[in-house]
Amino acid sequence: MSTPNADMKFLVVDDFSTMRRIVRGLLKEIGYSNVEEAEDGVVALNMLKNGRYDFVVSDINMPNMNGFDLLKAIKADDKLKAIPVLMVTAEARKEDIVLAAQTGAAGYIVKPFTKATLEEKVQKIMQKVTAAA
Amino acid sequence: MKMDELPSNMSMPAASPEIFQQLGTLTRQLHDTLNMLGVLPKLKDTVDDLPDARSRLNYIAQKTEAAAEKVLNLVDDAKADQEHIARETRKLAAMIVADPVKAVASGAVMNFVNDVETVTQRVDHHLTDIMMAQDFHDLTGQVVAKVVNLANDLESQLVKLLVQAAPLEQAQKVEAALTANHATEHTLDGPVVDHEGRTDVVANQGEVDDLLASLGF
Repeated sequence: MSTPNADMKFLVVDDFSTMRRIVRGLLKEIGYSNVEEAEDGVVALNMLKNGRYDFVVSDINMPNMNGFDLLKAIKADDKLKAIPVLMVTAEARKEDIVLAAQTGAAGYIVKPFTKATLEEKVQKIMQKVTAAA
Repeated sequence: MKMDELPSNMSMPAASPEIFQQLGTLTRQLHDTLNMLGVLPKLKDTVDDLPDARSRLNYIAQKTEAAAEKVLNLVDDAKADQEHIARETRKLAAMIVADPVKAVASGAVMNFVNDVETVTQRVDHHLTDIMMAQDFHDLTGQVVAKVVNLANDLESQLVKLLVQAAPLEQAQKVEAALTANHATEHTLDGPVVDHEGRTDVVANQGEVDDLLASLGF
């Protein structure tokens, strides 16, 4: 596996603080220490518009603005649409997975997941981003 | 007056066909009225969801039990590793005090260093696994929210039923509150508590990857 770019800035979006801590902890173990958190899509979108982020890891089922609406908002914004969005969610319906892909998600992980799965998806997405640049 | 309060010497008149017909008419009227008000179908839908709520509660019990067991086992393993290092440290300290040159020359110091590195890596893995085991909070939290929604629906339907007998002014107030509550519902499913017999959901990450690959993603 390629060496992670430790300067990359992640935004982890989940309404459960436990899950945000778990994802942040795993990203740190994988090699990404620059991680910020948001508790829903509204907060996340505001942070994205007012900061520089390289990668978004988002839940789907959240209050105020769910992960699908956040994904749509990111992909509809010229300044944000290049940021890869990895959905990490308990939603296991095939139609949700297809919808996420069609809306522009870079990857989809179903909970519960492992550190290896998260690492593999992040690396794969970053390889695609690097190749496309 | 209740039936069991009737005097013992009072006998009930034989039920005539007219009484049965009247009862039948009343029952039909009640059924039609409830249907017309939209209460019965919704109440039936909500009651039909009760087995789902039961399996969701079972899912919570299983998830929390599995997480607790996993954490306790990992803590046991980590404690055993810690005890091993503490014991080896005491042993090495005694060797160094007795004969420092021999302690180094015999390789005991280097063995200890290697041992510490191996064990700390293992303990680090245990700590990661303990962290991952906490994901039950997120998953069960979503399931609890679903069950609470179901309880709210059931309550709403039963209140609607009672409202039919309430004065008009009170009934209107309750209707307004129920309408406001329904406006906040969302349609996401949350964790799948039972995959058996379902073709509309994936059972694991491999199926997610296969589905996305089949679509060219």
